[in-house]
Amino acid sequence: MKRLLAAMVVAAAAIPMFAGVAGLPAPGDAGAPAHTRVAARYVEAGVRETGAQNLVTGVLLNYRAYDTFGEVMVIFAALAAVSAVLSRGPPARRPAEARPQVETSPVVAFVIRLTAPFIAIFGVMVILKGHLAPGGGFQGGVILGALLVLLSVVTGRGLERPLLSAPAARWLQAAGPLAFAVVGLFGLACAGTLLGYPAGPGADMLRAAMMLMLELGIGIGGAAIILWLFLQMRGE
Amino acid sequence: MSAWLPLAACVPLVAGALVPAVGRRRPQLAQGCALAASGWTVLATARLTRRLFMEGPFSYAMGGWAAPWGIELRFDAWSAASLFIALIMLAVLVYSGPYARAAIEPRRLPWYYSLLLLNLGGMVGFACAGDLFNLFVFMELVSVSSYALVAVGGGRIAALAAFKYLLAGAVSSVLVLFSVGVLHALTGSLNMADVALRLAAVESRGPVVLALAGLSAGFMLKAALFPVHLWLPDAHAAAPCPVSAVLSGLVVKVGIIGLLRTNAVFAGVDGLPMAAFGQVLAWLGALAIVAGALFALFQQDIKLMLAYSTVSNIGYIVLGLGLANHAALTGAGIHVLNHAIIKATLFLAVGAIIHQTGSRTLRELRGVGRMMPWSALAVSIGALSVAGLPPTAGFLGKWYIALGAFAAGQPGFAAVLLLGALLIFAYYIRILNAFYFRAPVDDNMRSVHEAPLPMLLPVLFLAALCILGGLFGRWPVALVAPAVERLAGGG
Amino acid sequence: MGAALQNLDYFAFVILFCIGLHTLVARPNLLKKLLGLNIMETAVFAFIVTSGMVDGGAAPIVDGTVTGPFASPLPQALILTGIVVAVSISALALALIIEIYRQCGTIEADELKGVG
Repeated sequence: MKRLLAAMVVAAAAIPMFAGVAGLPAPGDAGAPAHTRVAARYVEAGVRETGAQNLVTGVLLNYRAYDTFGEVMVIFAALAAVSAVLSRGPPARRPAEARPQVETSPVVAFVIRLTAPFIAIFGVMVILKGHLAPGGGFQGGVILGALLVLLSVVTGRGLERPLLSAPAARWLQAAGPLAFAVVGLFGLACAGTLLGYPAGPGADMLRAAMMLMLELGIGIGGAAIILWLFLQMRGE
Repeated sequence: MSAWLPLAACVPLVAGALVPAVGRRRPQLAQGCALAASGWTVLATARLTRRLFMEGPFSYAMGGWAAPWGIELRFDAWSAASLFIALIMLAVLVYSGPYARAAIEPRRLPWYYSLLLLNLGGMVGFACAGDLFNLFVFMELVSVSSYALVAVGGGRIAALAAFKYLLAGAVSSVLVLFSVGVLHALTGSLNMADVALRLAAVESRGPVVLALAGLSAGFMLKAALFPVHLWLPDAHAAAPCPVSAVLSGLVVKVGIIGLLRTNAVFAGVDGLPMAAFGQVLAWLGALAIVAGALFALFQQDIKLMLAYSTVSNIGYIVLGLGLANHAALTGAGIHVLNHAIIKATLFLAVGAIIHQTGSRTLRELRGVGRMMPWSALAVSIGALSVAGLPPTAGFLGKWYIALGAFAAGQPGFAAVLLLGALLIFAYYIRILNAFYFRAPVDDNMRSVHEAPLPMLLPVLFLAALCILGGLFGRWPVALVAPAVERLAGGG
Repeated sequence: MGAALQNLDYFAFVILFCIGLHTLVARPNLLKKLLGLNIMETAVFAFIVTSGMVDGGAAPIVDGTVTGPFASPLPQALILTGIVVAVSISALALALIIEIYRQCGTIEADELKGVG
């Protein structure tokens, strides 16, 4: 009975999807509306209007920056959500839990400590190069976050003595929204609209600086959030 | 260009990000921050609503890029719901002071306030969205914060209910995203007005119907329309009471507003089975009215009763949407606003009673009417409003929908409406009977006294709104009238 | 039907979506349900990105070396946001699974039915 129900649900989804998707313009067709309506302007004028050679970054941080702000808030919401669900009372109140201690091999620890600086540089580079090549705030932030998680595992520092001290971590996690607030208000001041960029000659440096600030905010915030998600899930 | 429109959503969001940092050591600071941000949002949305009354709908182009190259924010009659959202959230935040201190672990308190602010900003942003993908992003913001808020009180039931809610909500989000992708592939644009224009020129019907079905199914799941309402009762009953007020009163309406907004995109396309779709909606709504009321009747837990009542009331709204004539749409629109106030009143008042007595079942709450007169009074007002007695707020919406049923030549639906009202009345009579006319089961009730002031004031404020909303009913009607004109006139 | 065969890519993603949906609905283990959800989300992302592809087109990075048609940057920006949203949902779902396991000792939906 349950199998029948599951099959019915899947069929109810599959049949309209197949039928509908068959009528879409063929993927790869350069004349399809997906390329001619809005994307055409991004491709033609994107570098000139946003200053970013990587058009995806231009769309993310300039044309559709508000969506990226929403995205930054969603990932912060994930942190708030996980913390709200998993936070337990202060350690003094709980009996010491017998948590199985995983022994990290000294070889692993050594290799990670050796490569950590290079991974960190790579992460920062990915954040900074988002302008010109594939990369960007989130991508670099995830790399840095993964590095912090690795180091936490290897050094055995959980929630009691986290790699980022708790007060600092809370502010760093808010770095993404804060960066957007600062840049957005700045744009309001000099360009007249929230999250707007100054136009005209000579504004190139200013635009690049604003984008950089957003990228850094997203990256640092993302890294701090990922570390904290891991620590919360791991428990004490 | 005045930036009040985007800031109405952005300020609570950024405040929500700062609250955990600021309130780490002292939760009072967290609550204070939340109250300030929420108060600001009330002022901003009031300002925007006033501008709406004076000038009509208006837009804001984020970043200065005109639609469809940039994201357009649009404030029209449906967006004015954001004022109600902000007001109710402010009441919930004031109420949360004593309640959350007792019900939620201290370490979680800053995150609790942060999640409420994110929820608020998400809903306001959702109500003002003019861009399909922006709508999706803010819908996700509301959803993620809602799932977590269900579980924040702790306990296995809440965790399970939150997980079920998450699965249902995530499926609906995926459906919505897929449909947005289909619409983008068809028209190349994401701006709702632009897509509506270009859809008319698309030849193949299949993908258009698919997008309509996907969006509608997704939002119906979010609105907990029968028969995909199964996630709602456990989630709303297991959440802490202030959260239940937000979920039942506000978050569930996100599904309704989403349904309205996205269906408007398809208004210009002919050859779509809109009439049949409306009939399906009307029937599902009618089923929800009766099923919700019947399930509520057999509950002992007062919060489960209220949750099923929400399922029933969503049925009323969807019935109005399905009938799709002027009167029915007006009724649906008014009921979206009124039910938010009524349900918030009920959950907060019941929450005060649970907070003071520690019990949730009707049997254990017998006689509480004498010990907590104000809270019980608020529950009574809420009960009368839900049953739809004039001159309370719940009456107008149902009256208009019944008129709409007659106007559509389907008086059977009006009979269903009446049946639903009678059933609802029956179970609220049960509650009032238990509160006022039954003797307490044990001596614990004697030591119960009224809830503290920060909890009582928001409850009484909302209860007063229940009555005022009924007395001054023409104002909500005038508010939704222009949007109804556009919807009813077009389809 | 011949015209529909052009959209073979899209059909593949619909099949992937249905596999994910079936996993979510049919499997009792909560973690597997979450994986089914992730598969569904991935299918939708792949669908959206494919709609932005151009035959013989280049990645949307305009550095002066490529003059040919460019893939549309818009869907790629959309799914970047979408992926972050999906990660957020997965993180919360995993946290809930951890909490459910702490409280109930099991994460099989059949065994959890009797709870609460």
